[in-house]
Amino acid sequence: MELFEELRVRLGTLGMREWSGEIDDFGLDLDALETARPAFDFLLDRWWRAGLLHASRVPEAGPALVVANRSGLLPWDGLMLAHALERLCPAAGRPRFLVADWLMALPFVHPAVVRYGGVRACPENTSRLLRAGARVIAFPEGQRGAAKVFRERYRLRRFGRGGVVRVALRAGVPLLPVGVVGAEEVHPVLFKITGPARSLGLPFLPVTPTFPWLGPFGALPLPSRWVIAFGEPLDLDGLSAEDAEDDLLVSRLTLELRRRIARLVDEGLKARSGVFA
Amino acid sequence: MPTVAITGLRTFVGQRLAERLRGEGEPEGFRVVGLDLRRPHRLEGRVRFQRVDLTDPAVPLRIAEILEKEGVEVVVHCAFRTFPTADVEADHELETIGTLHLLDACAAARIPRLVVASSTQVYGARPDQPAFLEEDHPLRGHPEAHQVRNLVEVEHILDAWQARHPDTAVTVLRRCWTVGPTVDEPITRYFARPVVPVVLGFDPRVQLIHEADCLRAFERAVREPHAGVFNVVGRGAVPLGVLLRRAGRRPLPIPGPLLRRFGELPARVSAGDPPDAFFDYLRYPFVADGSRAAAAFGEPVYTTQEAFASFVGSRRMRRYR
Repeated sequence: MELFEELRVRLGTLGMREWSGEIDDFGLDLDALETARPAFDFLLDRWWRAGLLHASRVPEAGPALVVANRSGLLPWDGLMLAHALERLCPAAGRPRFLVADWLMALPFVHPAVVRYGGVRACPENTSRLLRAGARVIAFPEGQRGAAKVFRERYRLRRFGRGGVVRVALRAGVPLLPVGVVGAEEVHPVLFKITGPARSLGLPFLPVTPTFPWLGPFGALPLPSRWVIAFGEPLDLDGLSAEDAEDDLLVSRLTLELRRRIARLVDEGLKARSGVFA
Repeated sequence: MPTVAITGLRTFVGQRLAERLRGEGEPEGFRVVGLDLRRPHRLEGRVRFQRVDLTDPAVPLRIAEILEKEGVEVVVHCAFRTFPTADVEADHELETIGTLHLLDACAAARIPRLVVASSTQVYGARPDQPAFLEEDHPLRGHPEAHQVRNLVEVEHILDAWQARHPDTAVTVLRRCWTVGPTVDEPITRYFARPVVPVVLGFDPRVQLIHEADCLRAFERAVREPHAGVFNVVGRGAVPLGVLLRRAGRRPLPIPGPLLRRFGELPARVSAGDPPDAFFDYLRYPFVADGSRAAAAFGEPVYTTQEAFASFVGSRRMRRYR
């Protein structure tokens, strides 16, 4: 009977979260975050031994649009970057990371991602968060960045259509380029299977050295060494919200942003002693 | 005394709005003309009832006559089914074609103001919706939910009609799921269960409005001119699991594919539609931004969680009565 009761409670809470306390309008659960903080610390410091380059370049407080290179199917990079940034400048609050659409449709993954500060990537959400004074982490490569196979690692894809720059100009916040090195090796995708993945709602099914061979254990992230390299904020002084309509300027700024992030990624790669060492 | 005409007197909004507008002896009370198929017994003697069948092709003339004779200044349109029936055709006749007929009558009678009760469900529950939908967001609806489909069509018709009749101020109030002690709608019946079926692996942020906040917005939209579209929603959005759990309700997660077999489960909720037509709204978010309505009609008193607590508390009391 006890077993039955236990089973019923377990079933009743499956896939839902034991929520309590503060939850903000975007679904970020502050209590859950507090509970998970030691786990995130462990991941960042021990598991991935992340080194921060030029951390002094990050403004202490105030909203900002942080722009980084995207890698890996699961948003580990967004989560860790948000965590590192929060520890770096606690005054700016917990940054939110933007997540691609298809991830938002995935059962189980979606509630977990939202709980720890993931927000669907779209200009409406980004501007709303920036207006509220939050820091937002964007990955303009989008799904193309996540869908890279291992031999294409650290090669930046096209940067959307300048949406990031437009949003930053309209909100009047600085653009902060960041290069994340190490997240590519977390799930080294050897090749992709597209056929059966469609029916699961995924853009493709990744095949890594461990996944799907080891089942769910194969989905555990590998302990690669991470370097997070921060760049100087992109100079938007003298530009106003109206300049967001200037397509040529936007594309020039987007290119400049992409160039800087590529340089930061190269810098991070050089600074790293070894992939797993 | 100004006169207001209300269609759909037996819907929650229609009936309760009529009661509020009558304002029992208050000087600022309205004269209410009720247009419906059946006589509303609760409002007996308090409204001037006119039996009207909105689906009748000859009805625009008759309504126009009534509106002119009674000197109606504001028309409130809420003749939308509280419980969609399995007869999709008939629902379309009433909701979409009925609106067309009413609009013809309003144009003929040169009605200065029109208030329409819509729903935030017209935005559609999709994984790729922004966290807060603003009024000008495209209405994507749901391909399988026939009432939502009708409402989307109605809103497009209203849009086109407003462009041709700039002298009439059209107010569209999109309300989210409304809960409270006295509402009886599909969603309140759904949430009234002790065990609430939800979709396994999904936990969308949901948004509720308390009936008092909802009715106050409607009342102000009738009393003062506010042309345009407004999201009439409660404050904040809470993940469904939290909402239920905090109120002492037990969510019962059911795997998505199984829900299709549990089709009869929410039968009263989505009559005539496949279960996804309802469960998609418990799977993906459709949370609207209510700041425009808050500026026009006042900040809602209840948050989503408080509205739900009030609803759950009142239902619990009902058992002891």
